[in-house]
Amino acid sequence: MKIAQEIRAGNVIMNAGAPWVVLKTEYARGGRNAATVRMKLKSLLSNQGTEIVFKADDKMDQIVLDKKDCTYSYFADPMYVWMDGEYNQYEVEAENMGDALNYLEDGMSAEVVFYEGKAISVELPTSVEREITWTEPAVKGDTSGKVLKPAKIATGFEIGVPIFVAQGDKVEIDTRTGEYRRRV
Amino acid sequence: MHLGHAPYYPERMLWDIFCKVIDNHGDIGVCWRLAAELARRGERARLWVDAPAALAWMAPQGQAGVEVRAWTAGSTAEVVPGDVVVEAFGCEPGEAFAAAIARRTRERGRQPAWINLEYLSAEPWVERCHGLPSPVMAGPAKGLVKRFFYPGFTPRTGGLIRERDFDARQAAFDRTAWLRARGLPDAGERLVSLFCYEPPALPRLLAQLAAGDAPTRLLVTAGRAQAAVQAALADSSGPAAGLEGRLAISYLPLLTQTDYDHLLWACDLNFVRGEDSLVRALWAGRPFVWQIYPQHDDAHHAKLRAFLDWLRAPASLRAFHEGWNGIAPGLPAAEPATWAAVAQDARQRLRAQPELVEQLGRTALESQ
Repeated sequence: MKIAQEIRAGNVIMNAGAPWVVLKTEYARGGRNAATVRMKLKSLLSNQGTEIVFKADDKMDQIVLDKKDCTYSYFADPMYVWMDGEYNQYEVEAENMGDALNYLEDGMSAEVVFYEGKAISVELPTSVEREITWTEPAVKGDTSGKVLKPAKIATGFEIGVPIFVAQGDKVEIDTRTGEYRRRV
Repeated sequence: MHLGHAPYYPERMLWDIFCKVIDNHGDIGVCWRLAAELARRGERARLWVDAPAALAWMAPQGQAGVEVRAWTAGSTAEVVPGDVVVEAFGCEPGEAFAAAIARRTRERGRQPAWINLEYLSAEPWVERCHGLPSPVMAGPAKGLVKRFFYPGFTPRTGGLIRERDFDARQAAFDRTAWLRARGLPDAGERLVSLFCYEPPALPRLLAQLAAGDAPTRLLVTAGRAQAAVQAALADSSGPAAGLEGRLAISYLPLLTQTDYDHLLWACDLNFVRGEDSLVRALWAGRPFVWQIYPQHDDAHHAKLRAFLDWLRAPASLRAFHEGWNGIAPGLPAAEPATWAAVAQDARQRLRAQPELVEQLGRTALESQ
C-alpha cells in the first residue's frame, strides 16, 4: 500500500474495481502544511479518462505490474518507441507518456510499464538532470534559493529556478513535482 | 438554483460537519459560520467539534437548527450519518463514522454526500482541484467517493461564505452607536483594527501610526494580538518603546462573530489574519492588510503572492504585505486611502459570484 504523494505518472492504481494508469500528478500545498495530489487517469479497460484528487497521505493500492528498464529511441507519431537492453522495441501511446514528455530526450532512461503484455506507460526516475536552455540572466547575491525565476529546458518545459542559475547550467529536477532541486 | 427562492433545497438535509481545532479559532469560526448559515436557510446541522469552548464567546446566541456536539473518542458511535458529511480542513471523522457512512449507503442504496472542505487559497491549482471526486481507497468506506470543495475567489472555485442578511446588517450599522456601546470615543480619530499573530513589523507599525499626521486609535483584539502589542510596547530597545504622539490604543474583549463584523465596518483600516477574518474583511469592503498563516517551509509566500495578484494590489499594498508578513525587511508607509478602491473592487468582483453556502448545497445534492 502506498500513499497518494508516492504515486507517480506511469503507476497503475485500482479505482472503482478497475485498473487505471496515472498520466499526470500535481502536488499542491494547502493550509497548515496539508497537501493534496491531483491525478489525471486513464482506464486500462475502457480508455476513458478522469481526474481525481487525494489528500497527500491517503492510502491506496498500487498494482504491481511488469516493468523493464528501457531507453527512449524515437517518435513514430503517435507512438513513442522505447528499447530494452536486448533491442526489443515497445511502443507507448503519446497520451500515456504523461510527464515523461516534459523531460524527453534521445537515449533517456526510464521504466516501461506493461499490462497484459502491452506497454502502457513510462515511469521516470524521481529526478533527472537537464540543461537550462532559457532563463533571464543570473543574479548574484541571493543564495537562499527561495527567490525563483522562470526557466526552460530543451523540451520547452518550464520550471522555477533560483535567480543565480544561468542559461547553460545543468540542474536536477524532481520529476514528481516538476521542481528544481539543485544546480549540478 | 439561487438562494433568492425558497425553499433553497428540495428537501431539508441533515449535515454532519466535523471540525478539529488545531490552533487559534479559525477552524471553528469557519465551521460555525457554515453551520449557522445552513440552518438559517432551513437545513439542520450537527457540528462535531473537539474543542467547542470558543463558541461560548464567538456565538453565545447559538442558532436554531444547529446542534453542537463534543467530538471525542467514541462520541460518534451509534450515530447514523446525515445526508451530508463535511470534513473541514481535512479532518477525518474516524473509522467508526466512516463505517457508519458505508452502512447507511448499503441500507439506503445511496451514499451521503461526503465533502472535504479545504483551506482557502488563491493559487491557480485550486480551480483545477475544486469539485473533483476522491475515491476512498482504504478502510471501512473503501469504494465510496468523497468530493473536494475549495473555497476561493473566482467563479471556478467554491466562493466565500456570505450570509443572506449581510447587506441588510451592514446597511443598518450605526458606527457612532456601536462605538458608544463599546465605551470607545468617537472623536474623529482614524480607527484601525488589529487582529494578528506576532508580526515582526508590529513595533514599526505602532511607531508609524504614532508619527502619523492624523490621530489614530488602534483597536486591538483580545488574545495574541493584544499580547503582541503589549510585548512590543514593553521592549525598551524596540521602535515602539516609549511611544508618544498621535496613537491611542484600546484593548477589546473577545468579540462575537457578529461584533467582529461591526469592528471591521467601523474602522478605516483593518489588519486581519488567517482565513475567516480575511473573508470578513473582504466583505466589509474597507482597506485591509492580511497576515497569512505562516508555514514552516515558506509555502505561504506563494499563497500570499497569489492572493495579492487576485486582489490587483498596487505596489504600495504589495510592499506593505511583504513587510507585514516578514517576507521583506522594514515596513513601508500605510496608504489606506489608496487601498480603499482595491478593497471595493475586490468586494464587487466577489459579489458577482455565487457564494460558498449556495455552491456547497448544490455540490451536496449532486453528490448523493
